[in-house]
Amino acid sequence: MFNLVQLLIKLSGFLVFLVLEVICFTLVVRYNGNQEKVYTNTVNKFTGWLQQKSTSTYQYFQLYDENKRLAKENSNLLDRLANMGINVQNPLDTAWADTLQPVYTFLDAQVIRNSINQHHNYITLNKGSKDGVKPHSGVVTDDGVVGIVRKVSQNYSVAMSILHRQAIINARVRHKNYFGPLVWKSDNIHTFNLDNIPKDAPVTKGDTIETSGFSTMFPPGIALGVIDKMWMDPGSNFFTIEVRSFAKLSNLQHAYIVRNIFKQEQEQLEESVISEDE
Amino acid sequence: MNNTIVTNIIRFVSLVLLQGLVFKNIGVGWESFPYLHIIVFPLFILLLPLRAPKTLVIFLSFVVGFTVDFLYDSLGVHASAAVFTGFVRSFILQILEPRGAYNMSYSPTISRMGLGWFAQYTSILMFAHIFFYYSVEAFTFVYIADILLKTLVSFIASMAFIMIFQLLFNPKQ
Repeated sequence: MFNLVQLLIKLSGFLVFLVLEVICFTLVVRYNGNQEKVYTNTVNKFTGWLQQKSTSTYQYFQLYDENKRLAKENSNLLDRLANMGINVQNPLDTAWADTLQPVYTFLDAQVIRNSINQHHNYITLNKGSKDGVKPHSGVVTDDGVVGIVRKVSQNYSVAMSILHRQAIINARVRHKNYFGPLVWKSDNIHTFNLDNIPKDAPVTKGDTIETSGFSTMFPPGIALGVIDKMWMDPGSNFFTIEVRSFAKLSNLQHAYIVRNIFKQEQEQLEESVISEDE
Repeated sequence: MNNTIVTNIIRFVSLVLLQGLVFKNIGVGWESFPYLHIIVFPLFILLLPLRAPKTLVIFLSFVVGFTVDFLYDSLGVHASAAVFTGFVRSFILQILEPRGAYNMSYSPTISRMGLGWFAQYTSILMFAHIFFYYSVEAFTFVYIADILLKTLVSFIASMAFIMIFQLLFNPKQ
């Protein structure tokens, strides 16, 4: 202890010098523009260098996690790539026309009323004109098509279910592209008829039926059901096809209302051509 | 004792005023030759009594440098050089110690120590002071040649004035 005190006394001159110089340099840097610039420039250079070194070191240690993350992302992308042509009716939120402009957007809605045991069944949804719902919009779920919006109020919309005798959905056979209207026959909630398939069409039992995309209500490729039975009535040029639908209308909770952004444009164009011919 | 303090106070005031009011303007006046800067105030540090403790010398150096900084509006630049000079002073005194050791009751003036000794002592410390001053002023050694040139020119001018003062007034303490 005594030695320490002696050392301090011996060094007192140096210590006072050091303290005063520190004060002086602080003042110099603080109150002199030129020196301040030099100081900040030097310090910035040094800290920048230090930061760069530490960042590169840190990044080196992060490589393992980064690799894992990239591998995971790769597998996800591969999954999506592999499933692209197959799971078109995946719970899409938006289908893109090109990389910039969506054609169809989907609005999540809750089913607040539903019936399945009438000849004309309706579904009431909790989204209305306030949310941008328009009449003649399609209603779909993850499993397939469930109906078409008929009337819209401010907060609600009523869709006619596909279990409605007048509900006609433009359908086609997947990968074969023969198309025709799909209508409910009202004897069984799962059975529909697909008409207008010519008898030379290479359609077989078990083929999947999907939306054609010809109407503006539904995007193409949403699965509707599979061909359950098919036969040729004598004297007819068309198959009689019975389709078992995928839609689970009896326990419907959520649905998506489809909005086609170009609906108006397409319909106006088509109508103008038709009215011109008449 | 009292006489010493009074002398040093007078020296302090007169050197600071001379530096801040006269030599400052000379430096500014010769704008065609910005390397010249006459610095005389460290004479106060050099002429502090030999018996003054090291820490006191350094502290007084800080005070005089700081005061000059106020007149120069360059807070810290002169003070840091002065503190450095005050710190180095004891070492230079050690190196230049004459054979018979110092008479501790005096200040290291010409009349006490002789012209040769005083010229040596003053030139070493003044060179250290001016070099340190220009280094702090530039705040980087990138322009070391510039710093050295300024130091040399200012050193010669400052030394001339210091010697003239010493020979004129020839203080005993």
